[in-house]
Amino acid sequence: MLLLLVAACGLPRDPEGTLKHVRGGTMRVGMAIDTPWVTDSAGGAGGIEGAIVRDLARRTGSRVEWERGTAADVLDALKERDVDLVIAGLTAESPYGAKVAFTRPYYTDTTMVRGERREEQHVVAVSPGENAWQVEVEELLRAKRGEFPALRHARPR
Amino acid sequence: MSVGYAFSFPEEKRAARERARKLSWLSVVLLLFASVFIGLTVGQSQAMKTAWVSDVLTAIPPIALIVALRYELRAPSERFPNGYVRAVSVAFLVTASVLSLIGIYLLYDSVMKLVRREHPPIGTIELFGQQLWLGWAMIAALFFSMCMGLLLGKLKEPVAEELHSKALQAESEMNRAEWMSEGAAILGILLVAFGFWWGDAAAAAFISLEIVRDGWHNVRQVIGDMMDESPTQLGKRDLEDLPRLLRDAARRLPWVEDAGVRLREHGHTVTGEVFVVPHEEPAMDTARLLDEIDRAAAELGKLDWRLHGLLIIPVRELEEAIPPRVRRGNGGPGEEDGGGEPAHMAGAAAEQ
Repeated sequence: MLLLLVAACGLPRDPEGTLKHVRGGTMRVGMAIDTPWVTDSAGGAGGIEGAIVRDLARRTGSRVEWERGTAADVLDALKERDVDLVIAGLTAESPYGAKVAFTRPYYTDTTMVRGERREEQHVVAVSPGENAWQVEVEELLRAKRGEFPALRHARPR
Repeated sequence: MSVGYAFSFPEEKRAARERARKLSWLSVVLLLFASVFIGLTVGQSQAMKTAWVSDVLTAIPPIALIVALRYELRAPSERFPNGYVRAVSVAFLVTASVLSLIGIYLLYDSVMKLVRREHPPIGTIELFGQQLWLGWAMIAALFFSMCMGLLLGKLKEPVAEELHSKALQAESEMNRAEWMSEGAAILGILLVAFGFWWGDAAAAAFISLEIVRDGWHNVRQVIGDMMDESPTQLGKRDLEDLPRLLRDAARRLPWVEDAGVRLREHGHTVTGEVFVVPHEEPAMDTARLLDEIDRAAAELGKLDWRLHGLLIIPVRELEEAIPPRVRRGNGGPGEEDGGGEPAHMAGAAAEQ
């Protein structure tokens, strides 16, 4: 009941209106190559996070505008609000988490580093404080969560 | 008399003391629950962080009180000949300093977030298979904590009054003041929901101010204790009438010419000295004087249940009858100084 009421009011809202300009408009995405999460592909990104962006664009009916660079470059751009989303194979432990907004982990990856099991929580980054936008992205990640293990293991490192 | 003896609460106050102990435990448990709920939803919201700290901090005074209640009735030892009744003041000192320092830090933190225009990101949470905005969960947790505070404050108030316990009174006030903190945090999150990013940090700044105010209030009280301030009324800065009542009672003793009183609070107890000038005529021998002093100590001690370890000191003369000045109300020049004393003394003498 309460949730319906809240959804009807369109809360939470974005202070800078990111979701509004993405919906039916342009989604500016910063990308840094990190195989297999973000791979280079003609006219944009491939890989697991590339697939996330494609689905997000379909869901919001938006055109993707790519911005390429190192992870540091595109995260800085996100902080300055020159892009709306960053995919760079980020994990929740990344120190950038304090400057931009990381989503909830969409996938927990288990790797072996020198015989030691390590769990890494993968996230994407959105502009900080754009809460309607963040909710939109996190809802998509949750809807897709069943697909990630298959995507992860289909591509050998 | 013995040099040191343990204070014991009168029979009729023991139940209240037990209640105070139980309430302290209840506070610790409930506040722990509240802070776990808030802690789970804290996210990157400054207001939530501050509310969480404020919640954890309000659990410290009851813990300190539990410890103090264990110690205060211990018999004096060789190392601590004055007993342990001031353990409550120590508890107070710790709480007050911690509160003020953390409050100031949080205030700085929140104001800096406002200055740097940091927008608080608040994402989603999964609850019972449902995905919802974390902000709503925050508000629910804050509301729970708010109810806890109001309940605890209400429960503690009558017990504090019965025990004349400043520590418990301060706790009760702190618990009730919590609703403002939590209310501010709820408002802050709602502002964020409507797209006003500054709501979060502004609410946090307000909450930190509340914490600092609490701390300052307690620091002032503890300083008063350390300065051996005359007993003050519960929850107020006004002085109690007890020193005057005690002095007048001492002056009414048939063998006493003049009397002066010096009282101070030791934790839950009140202690001090009664200086008495015996009549010159008829002169008393030592045995008689000692008898009278014993009797007077017993009698004067009955004036208030908190009086403990009262000393009756016979002196040849009193230059100034203490309390020389009695200040009423908050500051103000409405003072009656030493110059007014002789008239009062004459009145007391006439009563005999």
